[in-house]
Amino acid sequence: MLKVQEIRELIKLVDQSNLDEFVYEVDDCKIKMKKNQAGVVTVSSQPAVAPVVVEAPKPQAGAPAAPAAVQQDAPKEEAAPEPIVNENLHQVTSPMVGTFYASPSPDQDAYVKVGDKVSNDSIVCIVEAMKLFNEIEAEVSGEIVEILVKDGQLVEYGQPLFLVKLQ
Amino acid sequence: MQSTLRKKLLDAFTEHEGEYLSGQYLADLIGCSRTAVWKHIEDLRHEGFELEAIRRKGYRIVKAPDLVTANEIRLGLKTSIIGQEIHYHETVDSTQKIAHRLGFENVPEGTVVVADEQVGGRGRMNRPWHSAKGTGVWMSIILRPSIPLPKAPQLTLLTAVAVVQAIGDCTELEPHIKWPNDILINGKKVTGILTELQAEADQIHSVIIGIGINVNQQKSDYPPELQSIATSLAIEKGEFVNRAELIQAVFTRLEKLYALYLEKGFLPIKLLWESYAISIGKKITARTLSGNLTGKALGITDDGVLMLEDDQGTIHQIYSADIEIG
Repeated sequence: MLKVQEIRELIKLVDQSNLDEFVYEVDDCKIKMKKNQAGVVTVSSQPAVAPVVVEAPKPQAGAPAAPAAVQQDAPKEEAAPEPIVNENLHQVTSPMVGTFYASPSPDQDAYVKVGDKVSNDSIVCIVEAMKLFNEIEAEVSGEIVEILVKDGQLVEYGQPLFLVKLQ
Repeated sequence: MQSTLRKKLLDAFTEHEGEYLSGQYLADLIGCSRTAVWKHIEDLRHEGFELEAIRRKGYRIVKAPDLVTANEIRLGLKTSIIGQEIHYHETVDSTQKIAHRLGFENVPEGTVVVADEQVGGRGRMNRPWHSAKGTGVWMSIILRPSIPLPKAPQLTLLTAVAVVQAIGDCTELEPHIKWPNDILINGKKVTGILTELQAEADQIHSVIIGIGINVNQQKSDYPPELQSIATSLAIEKGEFVNRAELIQAVFTRLEKLYALYLEKGFLPIKLLWESYAISIGKKITARTLSGNLTGKALGITDDGVLMLEDDQGTIHQIYSADIEIG
């Protein structure tokens, strides 16, 4: 059984090598690495069907133990067009050019802060232009892990505003 | 006895239509004290009569009960979309909040929420908006345009043009627009417009346009700190303005401009907006959360964005700000 540290070491070695692909198989554990592709590392245990887990695989169970980098990348069709950077992180983007407001008014608390749980219809901020106020909803369920813009900042169309770790 | 006095009082005002009658004159005419006259005047006010009281001139009835109920507005309305469904409330927290709820309930496009009094009215950044009973037009209009979401802010400029035209139709006053959509008469604010969007991702569901027009407030209705910056149509015109007629005019103008916009885009609206704009070519200060910018207002872009040229000749595009002229 490989430890996380060992997998990291392997990635580093493969990364520095001229190898394009690397497969390591022992018992019911299989590690496959491919370079020049979005999903660099895939580790899967045989019993598990599709889910890809970046973690020391637990051969007997498909349920991840939930460390920092748990991947729940079940192939969801609607997820494909979303601008996903880190696969389990969702970007909330601005639907228009305007001013980003973190709170309903300057003397009120921000709609969300890092660590807050949000659901699809949670309001995360307002984007305003020419006195048209657009309350932006998270549109996913998860946890706010980063706020990418400052209160009062001008944001562009499509600019990422928040990173949400999907539930 | 009371009713005879009341009758005499009303007869006097009817006979001297449009004139001011002093408290002493009325007291002598109907044979009671000035205090009793004042009491009757107050009673009339409670019944919905609009009275003006001017020092050294006296009282004047400007209008019998003036209401903005659905019936009052609908009578004589010639639009086909806007105002076809009217939700009237005597007192509301905010017409925007009700319109928001209706927006989610898929009411027809053009549905309007109107109130005689708004106790929780708000403006930009949730600033309170003074909305006393029976004096103004407080309403929210729901539109559902099939336009790309980033274009939606243009509707706020379009609404300002519609209200300026409607005020002109009803009062012959010539208001101006301060970017993006404040309406001023003689440099004082008479109308505020605040628009909110209901959207899912890139898809507009409803645009909720909140309009507050100061109509029949008298100067004394405003707290001292507002008197230098706010005004009403009645103060500027010097006479009472019928609110239901004004609302009808706003609906008519808005419907026409909205159809033009959907067909031809923002350009014809932009030209109209510029013809009413007060700040273009002038020195302005744009106050934003991230600081102030001072320079010359060059005009607006084809999207309605304000262009400001600073002293170094750099042109800034302003999307959100409070504009101060001069």
